[in-house]
Amino acid sequence: MYRGREGQWAFILHRVSGIALALYLLLHVLDISLVMYGPDGPFNAFLAFYHQWPFRIGLVAVMAGVVYHAFNGLRIIIMDFTEWGVKYQAVMWYGVLALTTIIGIPVLVKVIPEIVGRA
Amino acid sequence: MAVARPKTLRQARSSYATNGELAWWIFMRLSGLALIFLVFGHIFMNNIQINVANVDYAYVANRFSKGWVKVYDSFLLGFAMLHGVNGLRYSVEDYFKNPKRRFWAKLILFSVAIILFVMGVMTLWAFTFEEMGNAIDALPHGN
Ligand code: HEM
Repeated sequence: MYRGREGQWAFILHRVSGIALALYLLLHVLDISLVMYGPDGPFNAFLAFYHQWPFRIGLVAVMAGVVYHAFNGLRIIIMDFTEWGVKYQAVMWYGVLALTTIIGIPVLVKVIPEIVGRA
Repeated sequence: MAVARPKTLRQARSSYATNGELAWWIFMRLSGLALIFLVFGHIFMNNIQINVANVDYAYVANRFSKGWVKVYDSFLLGFAMLHGVNGLRYSVEDYFKNPKRRFWAKLILFSVAIILFVMGVMTLWAFTFEEMGNAIDALPHGN
């Protein structure tokens, strides 16, 4: 009744996105802390490296992961504290996917031209 | 799926052996709510209002010179670190069955997290090694 249904996919995606975001966070704190070496330190070179297109696409994936994880986290919280949430958890999951897509489209419209070098 | 996690507050209350685990269960939800605003705001400021490719030393230095950014980013760092690392711990406990490996995995995870957290706080509040050195020199010395 659970395996392969919406709830299991929701869980897997929540876990994978959470792990990816936490690992990204560790790396992100490390790279920003390089500013401690001052303006002539390694910070600018490091960031220029990260601004290459494969990493920019990775950043789009991180942003998508944040939006999914945030709304699905809200769905988990609603399920935890209301009967209503348990009853409609599957519908809410489709809502989470829809919201992630709806927010994703304008972000892609803004960011893709930057990545292909036209903005 | 691995270890079953409680699905409601009542289940969480009754199934966690320790108050510590219950407290983390509640913390994951409260910090999650705070992170919605903190993380969305952070991405909006640094990825949407500007082109991230323009981020460089000057941009970061300017941001960290503002008091409200230091406070905002401190909350972001604190909540995201605790929430993210506790979340990683859940996975370690689910997938590392061998007690020895589980111990080492957690030790490495917590060590890395503490070091990075301290570096993050230093970056926000002291900013450069030079400023930190000056601050240390300004301390009253015995000699
Ligand atoms: C943006 C708002 C966020 C919300 C609403 C949210 C919510 C949640 C919730 C409710 C859980 C389940 C906790 C449990 O099982 O007891 C969770 C797990 C997790 N979160 Fe978040 N979270 C957010 C942001 C983040 C961020 C920024 C990170 C990374 C630093 C992160 C990393 C994780 C990880 C690694 C887990 C564990 C996943 C698992 O056990 O399967 N979350 N989150």
